[in-house]
Amino acid sequence: MLSFATVRERWQSFAGGFVVLSLGMALVSMSALALASAGPRVPDRLAGTPVFVSAPRLDRADGSFAPDRPWSPETVASLVEELSAIPGVAQAVPDRAFYAQPVIGGRPAPSERGHAWSTATLAPYRLTAGTAPRKGETVVDRSLGLTPGTEVSVLTARGPVTFTVSGTVDGPGVFLNDAEAAPLSTGVRAIGLVAEPGADVAAIAKAAGRFADVLTGDGRSVLESRDDERTRWIGMQILTGMAVLSALVSVLVVGSTFAVGVAQRRREFGLLRAVGATPRQIRAMVYGEALVVGVAATAAGVAAGALLAPVLGAVLVDVGFEPAGFAVALSPLPLAGSFAGGVVLTLVAVWSASRRAARVGPLEALREAEVDDRPMPRLRWITGLASCALGVASAVSSDGEGAFVMSGLVAAVGVIAGLALLSPVVVPPVAHYASWPFTRGRGAVGMLVRENARTAVRRTAATATPVLVTIGCAVLITGMVQTTAAGFAAVRATTIRADAVIVPDGTPGLTDVSGGESSLFSAVFEANGDPLSTIGATPELLKTAGDTSGPLDELRHDDRVLIAEWLAEDRGLRPGAVLPVSFEDGTSARLTVAGTVRNADADVLVSRDLLRSHDPAVLADEAYVVGTAPDPGPGARVVDVAAYAAEADAEEDRLVWIATLLLVVVSTAYAGVAIVNTMVMSAAGRVRDLEVLRLSGATPRQVRGTVAAESALVVLLGAGLGTVVALPALFGIRGAFAEAMNTDVPLVIPWPLIGGLVAVCLVLAAGASVLAATTKVGR
Amino acid sequence: MKVRLEAVRRTYGTVTALDGVTAGFAAGTLTAIMGPSGSGKSTLLHCAAGLDRPTEGTVVIDGTDLGSLNEHGLTVLRRERIGFVFQAFNLVSALTAEQNVALPLRLAGRPAAPELVRRALAQVGLADRAGHRPSGLSGGEQQRVAIARALITKPAVVFADEPTGQLDTQTSRQVLGMLRRLVDDHAQTMIMVTHDPVTASYADRVIFLEDGRVVDEFTGALTAETVAARMAGTC
Repeated sequence: MLSFATVRERWQSFAGGFVVLSLGMALVSMSALALASAGPRVPDRLAGTPVFVSAPRLDRADGSFAPDRPWSPETVASLVEELSAIPGVAQAVPDRAFYAQPVIGGRPAPSERGHAWSTATLAPYRLTAGTAPRKGETVVDRSLGLTPGTEVSVLTARGPVTFTVSGTVDGPGVFLNDAEAAPLSTGVRAIGLVAEPGADVAAIAKAAGRFADVLTGDGRSVLESRDDERTRWIGMQILTGMAVLSALVSVLVVGSTFAVGVAQRRREFGLLRAVGATPRQIRAMVYGEALVVGVAATAAGVAAGALLAPVLGAVLVDVGFEPAGFAVALSPLPLAGSFAGGVVLTLVAVWSASRRAARVGPLEALREAEVDDRPMPRLRWITGLASCALGVASAVSSDGEGAFVMSGLVAAVGVIAGLALLSPVVVPPVAHYASWPFTRGRGAVGMLVRENARTAVRRTAATATPVLVTIGCAVLITGMVQTTAAGFAAVRATTIRADAVIVPDGTPGLTDVSGGESSLFSAVFEANGDPLSTIGATPELLKTAGDTSGPLDELRHDDRVLIAEWLAEDRGLRPGAVLPVSFEDGTSARLTVAGTVRNADADVLVSRDLLRSHDPAVLADEAYVVGTAPDPGPGARVVDVAAYAAEADAEEDRLVWIATLLLVVVSTAYAGVAIVNTMVMSAAGRVRDLEVLRLSGATPRQVRGTVAAESALVVLLGAGLGTVVALPALFGIRGAFAEAMNTDVPLVIPWPLIGGLVAVCLVLAAGASVLAATTKVGR
Repeated sequence: MKVRLEAVRRTYGTVTALDGVTAGFAAGTLTAIMGPSGSGKSTLLHCAAGLDRPTEGTVVIDGTDLGSLNEHGLTVLRRERIGFVFQAFNLVSALTAEQNVALPLRLAGRPAAPELVRRALAQVGLADRAGHRPSGLSGGEQQRVAIARALITKPAVVFADEPTGQLDTQTSRQVLGMLRRLVDDHAQTMIMVTHDPVTASYADRVIFLEDGRVVDEFTGALTAETVAARMAGTC
């Protein structure tokens, strides 16, 4: 009864918590829905085939997207023969894919996948015009706008090839005659079993199980491409990060909202205690209020999340955090989970506030002044310091590599939590010194501002904390991202000894005829199927770019292999030993170990020609040119070394930067709500102060000026503290990074962004406090 | 004796607020505690009512030694056996008059029968204001709601701290007359702290405090004039 009545009566003081919680839960439920929908999907182009057999798949570590070993050509041939003989199987189709990108109007088309024509039946895709491709012909996606009979230039790994369009099809991709596709294709890892009409699929699956691993139904989703798998993995990190951050910040802001509310209502709690409420009942009451707010806010947030989730899905695909074809489906479980989670989070958030409320003694009802001089609890000290330490440690230990998002998140969250906890101790003394300039003037406003900010510890801390947290995190995270990116660029610039670099332009990589010296990055497989990352390169190339060292001239022989030191040690391989491997095309070879290499970026090095002959589909990432650059042809362009160093990894950097901005925007939104909330809530408690100020002869303008200046001071204080706290961590990161990379790494901080964030906080704080004061005191 | 204080001392750090007060309060009487600012009269009330614990000495209410109770026991005793009327900030602003009156019963987990609540409100002349929130009530009405709430549990004793401190003369007289009637008609025991001779004149007995000690005490027919005269004599 009391909880309900209180929430209804004092809705203003709960509004901030409500908004934060709704916002947080909208984000959490959206992320949960997206995560629930982000599982692997059966690729559209294979969806029409009920049964697949696949090559053995290895368990891979999280975040590893190394390929599995394909079947050898002989195995594929015998499997096709055996599988075709199964009763009910109309056709056994090996899934062959390769790089094939049509050039239309001189520009590479967005579609870049090529397939053997027989695989069109796996979707199935049907001819919309023309006929199946013969030698020298191709069937293309009808959306490309090509009509049968026209000629089209198609980029393949070996260079552009001109085909005659023989037909169009209602699915994406370029289809070649099977005989022509086979030599261009990567190894076969799956064979689709097209069933005859009315055939017993279960029986087919059972019969096929005698020859290889069988995939049916949703199990076929493991056939999705490695690229899609990787994109989904990135998306999962982003979504998880967003959900965790939202939940954590919600807890902190809701907790502080309730804490301020409790501090303002000590007299009321005292009264209740005096008329017979036990501490337990007071706690129950605060929890009850939280429950009312929590249930309402979470319901609103989850509803909003469900409505906005499809939009989020589209955005995720657009920015490249989810593969094309991803759509958020509305399912009840994530929504119910978010709702329950939101309510529980609210209760967790008010834990501390409820304890504080329960400790109010009955005598508080009789106290005249509200003096708040209780020391900070020890537990808060300990957890505050511990979280700060954890955050900074995580930031320092970050190596700027794959786990970046996670360690950045831990750093941010640690510092957020730690500073939020410690703010009542940290903020007042800083306020004292930072407001020193205000003692200089003779005006009343300066004096009032300084004294108010110093004495209203709680309000000062409550306003400065969200600013401190936001600005601190923004400086830390954006600085970390940009500094690591700049560091990698610096490393590249110092290790490339070429005059120019050819880079892909609208294509996933370079063909063999783009010019310059390039290496190929692929994999070979050991006898047990374990992949070894492999670079196929010429000695010239390795001497031009990178700092690989070892007997590189051995790569002039096609039967030699150079191996990384760890591999030599682990497998006991000495020069002269034989390393049996199989390649991407499924064929095997016995390579002679010619020595070990350092700084090779791969487990083994072989000659470029050897790798190309066994992996017909792989593309080079870039090519180095000494002297004058040749015309690279369509799908590639020439840049100078400095430009290359800055823009390489641009795609990855872009994803990380978008993720970073997302985090910063979300946390700024929270800080904004928290600031406005604090201002509105504390305005009620200040009415008397401001009235006294008016009665003492202050004009309304002076009152507003005082209030605005005070909030501006507090915001600047929080921003300054946040920056000061983040900078050492950044310097630490830079130091560790520079040492690891053995080069000079500049510290890059996006100051315009930070300045913009501070400005937003300033406007919000000053605006909210002046508005609140004006409405409470009148003119 | 409904309430008995035995050699009660209360010190705050080096300040002695009560310095060995012994006093008894008989059933069905209205006692006023008077004294100048800082004389310890509020501390006496807090200790007697179990809102504060004495440094030394014992307080017995209705046969229960408060020193033997823990915080929970003390809360329960306050809820069951004691009623409070404060100077101000007396009502929970979110609740209606009716709900405020029913609050102690609800907190005790007892059924708050509507007719019981309404009778309590009728007793203070507010039967028709049951559904109003404090913001819709005058100061005198608010204080009467607080009195109805203090009485709802049929307490052994009602403590009032400057019950008319924020009321005008007219309203004060009404509220005090009502308190007096409760003592006379229902044999309610009541102890109030005041610095106002007019308020004290409604009491059966007046106790004067100074520097934490009882310095004077008198009973009999009291008028504002006699009380004021006695005050002038002691101070």
